Formats: sequence, structure tokens, C-alpha cells
Amino acid sequence: MSGSDYSGSEFSGSDDEYVGPRGGGSSAAAARKIVNATLQQAKKSERKAQAWERRKGESSEEEEYIPTFEEIEDNDVPEQSIQQMEEERKRKRLRKDTKPFQRGIIRHVVLVLDLSEAMLEKDMRPTRFHAMIQYAQEYVREFFEQNPISQMSVLGMHDGLCIRVSELSGNPAEHIAAILGLRTPLNPQDFSKEPKGSPSLQNALELARATLYHTPSHGTREVIIVFGSLLSLDPGDVHQTIRACVRDRVRVSVIGMSARLKICAEIVNKTNAGDESEYVVATDQELLRELLLATTTPPVVRATKSAEEIAPPESAAALMMMGFPSRVIEETPTMCACHGALTTGGYTCSRCSAKVCSLPITCPSCQLTLLLSTHLARSYHHLFPLRNWAEVSWHRAREKGTKSCMSCLTPFPEVPPDGISGEQQTNGHGANGRIHGKVAQKQSNDDEEQKASESSRYECRVCESHFCIDCDMFCHMVLHNCPGCLSKLDTPAEETNGIGDMEMTG
Amino acid sequence: MNAIDASEHHQRVDESVPPSLLAIVLDTNPHAWAHLSSTLPLATALANLLVFINAHLASGNGNSVAVIASHSNKSCFLYPTPAPASPQPRHNATNGDVDMNGTADSTSYSVQDNPNKYRPFANVETGILNNFAKLMEGTKESHLTATPTTLIGGALSLALSYIAKATLLNLPATSSTEEAMLAIADPEATHSSYVSLASRILIVSVSGDLANQYIPVMNSIFAAQRKRIPIDILKLAGDTVLLQQASDATGGVYMKPERPEGLLQYLMMAFLPDPTARRSLVMPSAGGVDFRAACFCHRKVVDIGFVCSICLSIFCTSDLPDNLCLTCGSYLSLRAAQSNPPALIPKKKKKKKRVGGTDSATPGGSTPAGSNTPMHS
Ligand SMILES: [Zn+2]
Ligand SMILES: [Zn+2]
Ligand SMILES: [Zn+2]
Ligand SMILES: [Zn+2]
Ligand SMILES: [Zn+2]
Ligand SMILES: [Zn+2]
Repeated sequence: MSGSDYSGSEFSGSDDEYVGPRGGGSSAAAARKIVNATLQQAKKSERKAQAWERRKGESSEEEEYIPTFEEIEDNDVPEQSIQQMEEERKRKRLRKDTKPFQRGIIRHVVLVLDLSEAMLEKDMRPTRFHAMIQYAQEYVREFFEQNPISQMSVLGMHDGLCIRVSELSGNPAEHIAAILGLRTPLNPQDFSKEPKGSPSLQNALELARATLYHTPSHGTREVIIVFGSLLSLDPGDVHQTIRACVRDRVRVSVIGMSARLKICAEIVNKTNAGDESEYVVATDQELLRELLLATTTPPVVRATKSAEEIAPPESAAALMMMGFPSRVIEETPTMCACHGALTTGGYTCSRCSAKVCSLPITCPSCQLTLLLSTHLARSYHHLFPLRNWAEVSWHRAREKGTKSCMSCLTPFPEVPPDGISGEQQTNGHGANGRIHGKVAQKQSNDDEEQKASESSRYECRVCESHFCIDCDMFCHMVLHNCPGCLSKLDTPAEETNGIGDMEMTG
Repeated sequence: MNAIDASEHHQRVDESVPPSLLAIVLDTNPHAWAHLSSTLPLATALANLLVFINAHLASGNGNSVAVIASHSNKSCFLYPTPAPASPQPRHNATNGDVDMNGTADSTSYSVQDNPNKYRPFANVETGILNNFAKLMEGTKESHLTATPTTLIGGALSLALSYIAKATLLNLPATSSTEEAMLAIADPEATHSSYVSLASRILIVSVSGDLANQYIPVMNSIFAAQRKRIPIDILKLAGDTVLLQQASDATGGVYMKPERPEGLLQYLMMAFLPDPTARRSLVMPSAGGVDFRAACFCHRKVVDIGFVCSICLSIFCTSDLPDNLCLTCGSYLSLRAAQSNPPALIPKKKKKKKRVGGTDSATPGGSTPAGSNTPMHS
């Protein structure tokens, strides 16, 4: 059944419904880009206005940065209560793409940090450099939270060269220590890598390419560049390097600062099969953090023609051998294979019985990937996302007669008696009460805008339970389960979280 | 550690004991309790649980409790009592969530005005007993024959959302909703700026195989981990690796007592201390934890498995029909089934080795010395 879900045509077909920075490179996406471009000016000013707001409001969830061009509907404001506006704003954070996309779950990411003079600018507090160091640590933590079986390496563009900050590995502690070491070296003898000189995009790309060269073909190869400068001092022809990156299936995302650069746009365009949405510019500190954290969501696997040409079909998916070791507790300390330190417990490799301290890890002695099955399960919500819940009209609320939230028992506002309230009769039947003229055409489930509900109820379309806004947020951003669906046997749970569930029992 | 960052300046230091919310998930699976009836009938277990709840409520003024039944056909709140829905009689009004709420006019137990009973205790007791009786009344034979297991995933999800909401409500009134949002999304970022509600979940489990709810339970575990909610497990019967992993991942207590009739003792000694107290106590530890995974094809427990890179399904063999993933149907190359060699070995060498090794899954392939035996003859 699900075989068809994953077929290539399905993905290219659904591309056009996908709005967001990680969208595929289909023509529909390109068309949308034009719309984006025209609205960009408006967006820019709006972002500025919200900068103070984001300071507290941003979340490090896997939500994506959602272009908000659809939001302004001034004529609507008077009839909305403050509470509704608040709820609406919250719901904007919900993921728009709750369709099960094929995502690159096993990622190999090279994070390139700009350590050039431009990072000494003080438009971020205290400097761009310090802000970046701080967010980069946060990024590493969030990245491994979201992508536990992925690998990462950190590079730095420093004084014309590209330096290796940390090796490709799956250990977040290592990367965080290395990033911190940029500012305060671990060894007193080492010099701290304060920003100096010019950056070189070519050197950075070459080193990133070399780092990713040996990674297995079933994983993604991504380079994420935080680029503060407005210039790049390259030793040779950067276009050759770009071509080499395209050949090696390296996808480059650039997070610029202050202004767009032609060369960055070109790099992103070429390596993302014509899609330039991976090139974003952070105009302030909060946006930088937001954009950086947005890249922790596994990218949608492109099924466009060009991607197929580059990657032969058999290299796209692979069966990986993995070990699931059990934890041992020992009376006497023994040497661990990863650090060579004496410890009294750890995990023994399923194949060679070497002892390692932490998981996930590649066995230092036999190279088997060792992890917990929970690490795999952590990525399932990307593969089988929870569908968005619908707003509930007064009409519908009366029909269902719900008095309190299904999962937290908070009482809902009373349903006004029939026909009296200032109820909107736009769409009497079904769960979607508030539909604004423009959006009304595309009612198809998950694509519609996430608006506030007039009755403060949100309904799961599958189990028809009603929830409050807080539970809506919690279930979609943290839990990824519908408490209603899972609490009833009669409801086929497969339809929400269960796609894989069903498969697994079979 | 960050000298320049000034965000930690106005920390409110409150010395009082943080209020504690205990969410108890009671597995009421009739099949499993039937097996236990000779040693620990459900009625006795419930009585013990009530004593334990009272002890929890008594140990702090701000303490609160929520009890959720994980039954065979539904999971629902036993306490607090959910407000019953009153759907308008309409052509399309299905049973919806009516059945789980029951009606409020049930008079089987009512809060007696017993002056000798602490009022909150009485409230909790009558609430739980009423709802429990309703749950049992509502259980039909058809429900029992439908499944031998319990809806632990739903109960866990209910408990987690309830805790999330309670945590939100517990935030100081001064904090904006923005901050509340942040607390939902990322507990680490906002920790220690307020005395948060210390919540934990206790699962009293009697059912065995929960593998059919693998993904929901796993999602719940991660949510608990993110929100730093320990999940304690008291496993009276049956065995699931899943729940042991839940307690291990969230830093909870896992206990599988030999003698279930001592339930109250176990509850009081192992599960009463809240996370703050646990730091200064020696808690029972699970010791070695079995982290092996079950393969999706035969439900065999494996320690080395083959994982589809697309959907992350685990298989016990690399020998799949037509090399197609059984779950998602993608074509899987076995090339990479072998663990990737160290980065320093040049590509040519790797190829040679692959030709030499007939069995692609043999681990010996990565030891270079082993493949060159013909040299000696
Ligand atoms: Zn070690
Ligand atoms: Zn090994
Ligand atoms: Zn709620
Ligand atoms: Zn539902
Ligand atoms: Zn199998
Ligand atoms: Zn698969």
C-alpha cells in the first residue's frame, strides 16, 4: 500500500503543494518563487517589525521558517478577539507540510562558519562572531536531537583558508567543544580563532566536498554555510568547484548576513537543482538563529529529473547494517574502545564486543554503526507526521457538544445558544468554520492556512476529538501523536501516526 | 560560561519545594488482571493505589494528581473527571467521545461528608472510583475479544498533554504567552527562570506485548524526554522491552517486582519520592538494559539488523525479496549493507575485498589480513 506513497511520481506531484524553504525544485515551486519575490519587499519590512517579538517567541522546534505573505487581512481584524489573534499567531508555527514526504533521514552535514573580518561587525550583539558561536552550539544540539543517526562536521573560513574545526562525527559534545574552542581555546597554547582576513568560498566548498566524499550514497550530503562577508577571495575558479559539488551530489545552503550575493545565489541554485530558496539572508540576530535552526529538519528528497541523473537509482536507498548493543554494567573497570579510558560500564558492540561509552557511534574497532532502536524511532515523526487539526465553528461545536479539551480537560468557552451569537455562517457544515474568501478554494485538508478557531476548539479530522490551542501546539510540535486517535480502538489509528505502525505489525 | 550573555540575570530563586504533578497511567487490561487475580485482584491494586495517591497529595501542598486508565478499548481520564460532552441530536452525531465521559448523575459513590476524611483525599477517591466503575460498566464482551492488549500509547499521550497544559498554567502570571510557547517548544531554553511544576508519569503496567503501538509509544517517550518528565514503570506482569526503554530514556525508575501482592510497598518505597528527592536517594536501577530491537519482518529480537535508509525499518536479514524494502517498497542496494570502510582506505582496495568476500554480510570482510589465505599454499 505504501509502496505507491514513496514512488517518485508521487513526490514530484506533491511538490507544488509544498511551500517552504526546503521545497523541491519543480516548476510549480519556481512559479511560487515569483510570487514570493513580489511579496518579498512586504515580507522584509514585516520581519523587521517583528524582530523584537521573535526574541522571546522563537522556538527551536523543527518547524520551518514559514513565509508569512498570506497573513495580512486587515479588514478582518475588528471581529477578531485578542485571544483569537493570539491563537492564530501560535498556529502559524505549525508545520504546513504534514504530508509524509520522503526525507533524507541519514544526513551528512558540513557546517561552515565564517571566521573572517566581517564577523567582527557589531550589528549583532555583542558581535556577529559571538552570536554565531552561540547559535552554532544550539544548532548542533538541535541537529542531533532531530537527526540522531546523522553525521556532522564543522569548518571555518578563516584568513583566506578553510580550517577544520571538528571532524565528521555523530557526537554532539565533540562539535560543541570544538565550536567553543574557537572562542576560548582548550589548549592555552593554541590561538583562539578570532575572525581574521577574508573568507574563501572555494576553499570552503573544496574542503567540505572532500569531507563528504567518503560518505555512503544513501545519506544526504549537505553543506550549510553561515556567510557574513560580502566578498569571497578564491584561489581559483569557483565555478569549477560548484560543478564538482553538483557532480558529488552536495547540496549547499547559505545563510547570508545583511545582503544577498550573486555568487551565493549561484552556488545554491546550481547545487539544489535550480531552487534558490536555500539561500536566505539573516537581517538580524533572531532571524539568524531561526534560519539556522530551520535547517535541522531533514530535507525533502528531491525527485526531479536532474537529481535522478546525478544519483543513479540504486544508490538512493540502501540497506544498512547496524548493531543494537545492550548496556552492560561491570564490577571492575575496563578500557573503552572509543577513548581508551577505564570505565565501569557501557555498550558492547554486537559484532566484535568492543566496549563503547555512548551511542550512537561507529564501532572504533569494526566500523559497525551502533545505535539504539530509539534513535531510529526518533525520526519516525518526520516520516509519518501528524496531520494538522481543523478549526471548529460554533455550529460544529454545538453539534459535538464538547465542553472540555480531550487531553487536558480545560473547559472550553460555552457554546452560545443557537442563532444568537455573531456566528459566521460562511461554511456551516464540516469542521472548517472560518474560511476566508481567498483561501476557500483550496480546502484540501492540510494545505489551508492555520487559523484560529472561533470556538477555541480544534478538531482532529480522524477521531473528531476536540482540543484546546495549547494541546494542539503540544501535540504537533512535541508529541506528534493524537491523543484522541490513540485512545479509541474503533478509530483506525493508522490514519494519523500509524502508517509505519501498521506496516510493522504485518 | 558565557560572560557576555546577560540573559541569566534576573533569576528568581524560590526556596520552596516545587509543586509536583503525578500522572498515573493504570493499565486496566482485563485479560492481564484476570491472570493476576489469584495474587493481586484489581480491587486490591486500586485500593493500594489510592493510598499511594493520598501519600503523594499529603507530601506537598501544591501536589496534584491525574489518573488515566489505559483500557483495552479506550484510554480515558479517571481523575480529574472530564466534563461529559452533550452532542446535539443530529443526523450525523456519532457516538464520538460521549461514551468515555459517561453522565454526571451516577450516584454509585458520592462525596460523603465524613468529617474525619481530608477533603482532597475524598474527592480523588470518589472521582476515581466513580469513573472506574463507569469504565468497567462500559466494557462489553466484544471489546474484550477485540484485543488482548491495552492502549498505552493513548494513555501516555493524554498524560503528556495534561502535564504540558498544567505546566503552562503553572507559569507565573507575569510571563507572557510568548514565554509559555517557548516552554512548550524548548524546556532547556527557559529552565530555571521560574519554579516549574515537577511532573512525572507512573505507569502501572500488566500487559505484555505492546509492539503494535511502537511508534506512538516511542513518540511519547521522546516528548517526555524533551520535557524532562521521568516515566516510572511498575511492571506487575508481562514483559516489554519498550517500557523499560521508556524509563531508561527519561530517567525514570523501572521495577518488575517478583511478588505483585506487595504493590503498596513497592509504590511507597520506590515511586513516592519526586525527582527532587530522588537526587539524594539511591533509587532502584534497572542495571543492564536490553536495547535490542525487534525486526519488522518476523518480530525476532536482533542485535545486528539491516535498516532501510528510507523508512528506517529494521530487518533481520539482508536477503529481502527482490531487494525491495518490505515496508516502503524502495529498491535497496546491498552494497552499503556492509559497514562503510574507514575513510583512509582507497577505493580500489575496497572493491577487491568485495569481490573476495562472497557473503556480503560477513563481518570478517573488514579485516584485511583474513582475506588473503591463498598466499600460503
Ligand atoms: Zn569511551
Ligand atoms: Zn565492533
Ligand atoms: Zn487541551
Ligand atoms: Zn485524532
Ligand atoms: Zn525478521
Ligand atoms: Zn523502507
